Amino acid sequence: MREDIAAFRQQARDWLGANVPAGRAPYDGAEGRAFALAWQKRQAEGGWAGIAWPREVGGRGLSVLEQIVWYEEYARAGAPSSLNALFVGLNHAGPTLIACGTPEQKAFHLPRILKGQSIWCQGFSEPGAGSDLAAIRTRGRVEGDHLVIDGQKTWSSFADVADWQELLVRTDPHARPAQAFTWVICPMDTPGITVRPIKTMAGPYKYCEVFYDAVRIPLSHVVGGLNRGWPTAMSTLAYERGTASLGLLIALTMQVDAMLGDCPRSRALMLARLAQLSAEGAAIQAMAYRVALDSEQAVPDASASLVRLAFAEFGKKVQAAAIDLYGVQSAKARGAHGLGHDYLDAFSETIAGGTAEIQRNIIGERVLGLPKGPR
Amino acid sequence: MNFSLTDDQSSVLSGLDQLLGQFDEPGVRHAVTHVYSAALAEALAQAGFLDVAREAGFGALDAALLVERVAREPHVVEAGASALIAPILPIDAGVRPIALLSGDLTGVARFLPVASLLVVDRGDHALLLPVDRDKVEPVETLLAYPYGKLAEVDPALGTRFEDVKAIRRRWRVALAAEAAGCMAAALAAVIEHVTARFAFGRPLGSLQAIHHRLAMASETAESTRWLALRAAWSDDPADAAVAAGFAQSRIAQFTYDLHQFSGAMGLTLEFPLHLWTYRLRALASELGGASQQARELAKTVWGEAA
Repeated sequence: MREDIAAFRQQARDWLGANVPAGRAPYDGAEGRAFALAWQKRQAEGGWAGIAWPREVGGRGLSVLEQIVWYEEYARAGAPSSLNALFVGLNHAGPTLIACGTPEQKAFHLPRILKGQSIWCQGFSEPGAGSDLAAIRTRGRVEGDHLVIDGQKTWSSFADVADWQELLVRTDPHARPAQAFTWVICPMDTPGITVRPIKTMAGPYKYCEVFYDAVRIPLSHVVGGLNRGWPTAMSTLAYERGTASLGLLIALTMQVDAMLGDCPRSRALMLARLAQLSAEGAAIQAMAYRVALDSEQAVPDASASLVRLAFAEFGKKVQAAAIDLYGVQSAKARGAHGLGHDYLDAFSETIAGGTAEIQRNIIGERVLGLPKGPR
Repeated sequence: MNFSLTDDQSSVLSGLDQLLGQFDEPGVRHAVTHVYSAALAEALAQAGFLDVAREAGFGALDAALLVERVAREPHVVEAGASALIAPILPIDAGVRPIALLSGDLTGVARFLPVASLLVVDRGDHALLLPVDRDKVEPVETLLAYPYGKLAEVDPALGTRFEDVKAIRRRWRVALAAEAAGCMAAALAAVIEHVTARFAFGRPLGSLQAIHHRLAMASETAESTRWLALRAAWSDDPADAAVAAGFAQSRIAQFTYDLHQFSGAMGLTLEFPLHLWTYRLRALASELGGASQQARELAKTVWGEAA
């Protein structure tokens, strides 16, 4: 281990030990927004935001290795789950702007994301276009120096409390997907936007539907170029499938360690199940670290889908084991947002960000080089 | 074992369907997480369905058929213990709903907040305790059933019942029958969804990845139903352990697959699937879970040494 990394780890551990908020973090609504922003602001003031982001946009310009160390210490300290209202800004919009944004877009948005001054949501999925993202129908028409948006998005997490949305719209109704869409920064307070929260079986409000009625967005908000939204969106999804879930994965492997500690020695079958999960977690962690470290050189390739798929299935297994270990009666008493929530929310792991079936298709076709199957 | 319904069974189930049809309120399907229906429980009791096993010529199999059918409903009612366990207890007909518990008298029990009687498996005997609902503390679980616990219990208020093995046997049958009903309803909802929903220009259900796993889900639902009915028919402890254990061991994969193919819509309260997901998850943990049923089966077949 490099000495500077060991020192970095110790600094992270010390800072987290002194600053991690006590108690359960509020999750949704205005309270969840305020908490997430305040916690991000505190990390930024402490010098712990954007560890691997470039210096010129407010990051620390360190390597992915330091980022990994931070994630490890963050999880070890029991810090608030990073799957909160800031997740899209820090893990989708931010990296996409770094890769494809204009200098003005970077200068305006990236520091705000890092300092806990803005919340982003994603506007990709539609009622008829989830895994089949190319079926997007929300239209964007160029009128003068504006895009005029009409349509509907759904499953937009935290849209009800977001300031900005990474919005994917169809700007050429006739072109193939690669030339049909535009990725645009949508200010959520623009007239014509209506947000409707959707209550899920896991408890808190998180997902929203967003309706657009002649919403006018300046063309200067387009990222990656008009009709170039598909490659821009794919780079966002590549991050999600590769490195974005790294912090969550580390937290999950530590949850398994804690469960092993909590499991009575008399429960031999549960111990064996947890040991199996521990091995599975270690394997996924190794794959994820490889993808993360490679991502310093280039946008993650299709093999990131291996990590995304394994992580999603792993998350479901861990939460299922947790509820079996601690019991149904403790369903609201333990876990990040209650065991019952964590168990039921994990169902979405293999659906969100491209279903497990889509990941398997990607792995089959692009990693293994198998012939394409029928769609 | 006869695989066709008798004329009497067909008649009972037909009457049951008529009654359940009157409670088909679409609002219940889409808006709420806790759906215990005192009105449906009362209607079932008044019509005599919960006492079917007490009638001459009827028995546990008929009660299991009823429990399975009622579990398909979006409403939650306590039918398993009333229909399958009450008839073997030294209690008057009509004492219901009944909550069931193993071990500690102050443990968390399904249906306890609405129960009139708590039946506790104390290992070598059972204790039948009248329930003062004002003393029940509700326990929130997100899992549809009303759960609760008693802060303190005076065992002297209970009636001792020796044949605790019969209670366990019927409890397992009831659990398996209820799981079978939940599975059948959940599967039907998802098949409707993947048939109507299009992606990539074709019905979702035409994709082979979905075909195959729904076929496996169908096998799980059908197997659970037949094992539950076999156990009710034989009233045999090994059959009961097989039925409950099989159902519990399959619930996790079954519910994950059904939700996977319902997409994000299936995670919302606007789609009915969660009504059965909640209940199946709760049933998967009852009586110690699948591994406990496997141990019970081994003991039944090979004796205490197993």
